[in-house]
Amino acid sequence: MPELFQSVVNGVLLGGLYASIAIGLSIVFGVMRLVNLAHGDLLILAGYAGLLLATCFGISPLAGLVVIVPLLFIAGFGLQKHLFNRTMRQGPEPPLLTALGLSIVIQNTLLVLFTPDARFLSTDLSVQTVRITDSVVVSAVYLLGFLSGLGIIILLHAFLRGTALGIAIRASSDDEQTARLMGIDTYETYAYAAGIAAATAGVAGIVMGMTFTFYPSSGPQYLIIAFGVVVIGGMGSMLGTLTGGILLGLAQLVGGNLLGPGYQLLCGYAVLFAVLIMRPQGIFGGKVHD
Amino acid sequence: MILCVAVSATLPFWASRYWSLLFLMFFLYLALAQAWNLLGGYSGLVSLGQQSFIGLGGYTVAVLSVYYGVPIWFCLPIAGVVAGMFGLVISGPLFRMRGEYFAVASWIVSESLSILFSNWAYVGYGSGMFIKPAYSLSLTQMYYAGLCVAVAAVITVCGVLTSKTGLGLMAACDNETAAGIAGVDVTRCRLYSFLVSALLTGVAAGLLYSYQVFIQPYKAFGIEWTVRIVFIVVIGGIGSIEGPIIGAAILVCLQQYFSDYPSAGLLLMGLTAMLCMLLAPRGIAGLIREKTGLELFPIRYG
Repeated sequence: MPELFQSVVNGVLLGGLYASIAIGLSIVFGVMRLVNLAHGDLLILAGYAGLLLATCFGISPLAGLVVIVPLLFIAGFGLQKHLFNRTMRQGPEPPLLTALGLSIVIQNTLLVLFTPDARFLSTDLSVQTVRITDSVVVSAVYLLGFLSGLGIIILLHAFLRGTALGIAIRASSDDEQTARLMGIDTYETYAYAAGIAAATAGVAGIVMGMTFTFYPSSGPQYLIIAFGVVVIGGMGSMLGTLTGGILLGLAQLVGGNLLGPGYQLLCGYAVLFAVLIMRPQGIFGGKVHD
Repeated sequence: MILCVAVSATLPFWASRYWSLLFLMFFLYLALAQAWNLLGGYSGLVSLGQQSFIGLGGYTVAVLSVYYGVPIWFCLPIAGVVAGMFGLVISGPLFRMRGEYFAVASWIVSESLSILFSNWAYVGYGSGMFIKPAYSLSLTQMYYAGLCVAVAAVITVCGVLTSKTGLGLMAACDNETAAGIAGVDVTRCRLYSFLVSALLTGVAAGLLYSYQVFIQPYKAFGIEWTVRIVFIVVIGGIGSIEGPIIGAAILVCLQQYFSDYPSAGLLLMGLTAMLCMLLAPRGIAGLIREKTGLELFPIRYG
């Protein structure tokens, strides 16, 4: 029983990390109806950037966030403005295929630059644990992941409600034409949204790098996780993303506990598929897409 | 076109093994790409999950020939049928989704298959299976099989697209509601093309793994297949029959040229695909068509 409880606690904490990974995808998909297939790779890119900072300059990954987050924001902004905005005008398929191309480019660039060895961002936190009760111990990085997910979501929620840019983003996602009529440059807004999404990927990537080992090819698996969170939790809802993350984390770890570690990912996929079939808008999703 | 086929039919007699091999890969990639193009270029179903059928086709050949002693040549059509049946099963949940959801869901299906096969003792878990009976096949036999598969793929795709189902598909791509009002059963047309695509992919994959004699879940159900297929179609020309032909030729050449540096090759392909989407959305076939008006197969969409 305590073993199961340990899985539950870990699942919830992992869910927070998953939510922080997914929030960027959720923003891009919610605002622009674009599944950024390269989102997972942006995460890994941030991880490698953190690695570079740590090995070349001796900067701890968390401190390196100061550099990484703005860099990724600029990258996301630039990619949206110059690449995706142009292909979006051609229909729904070209952006998807362009994102696939981008994903491959990022993966192989990292492969060439950093070799296929497994990497890890080790810090003092990597081996620390926090004891909750007599039998339940959580690793500090899992707790960090959960708190970062929570923090990002709260920040973004405030941003989207409180600032002019945030309101512009929500308006562009609700009704593009009317937003334009109200004087909002929707394509510029999309670029900002993509920048923000990339910035969250930066934070999530560093935390991910501190929690798991990563390879240049690790991107797609995180993309699927992010997609799962967005589908389960529903789009357009911050609470939904957090809930979706927690549910997916629980499904994976509890399922892995019950069926065996080899089936961990499969349990997550099964839950995802079930939600896709039964309630595609997710638990908190408002809009029904198509 | 017929001249080309006739010439390539005589190839093994005057060209070296290396060229036979190259052309075999070209034929197989061509078949895979035509199958994807049928879905993505003409039916509006961008599938990122073709590797489900590739893996299933390959494993069917492996299991049937190793465990049941079925001759490889019989395994190939059965591989297609198995892939088609799986397509039928999975089409139920998949067809409830559209666009991006369909794309990623199809990918998740193949990832799930990868995990299932990695944990299955019958197929050797994650370490895979050796397809020993395939050792007895000669390259020349496989070459001709590949030629047949490629020609069959092109003929099948052309056949589907010039039939009423094909016209219905293209109409549905333009405007689904209008097509429905005009009497097109959109779901049935899409299902039909999905099954045909699955069948073609299964057969091509069966032959491919007969050549490779080794199959592993991670690679067989890996996204790399879809990446290569998508690049073939995007660079060659989406929504045209010549596109995959051109694209498959380019892919095989690039793979040979970059065989020592596969990552650089993939990198180049990714960049080219992105540039194509920006500058030449209809691919090389589209460019040729615009500049010269030359069209080998006058079936195109978009």
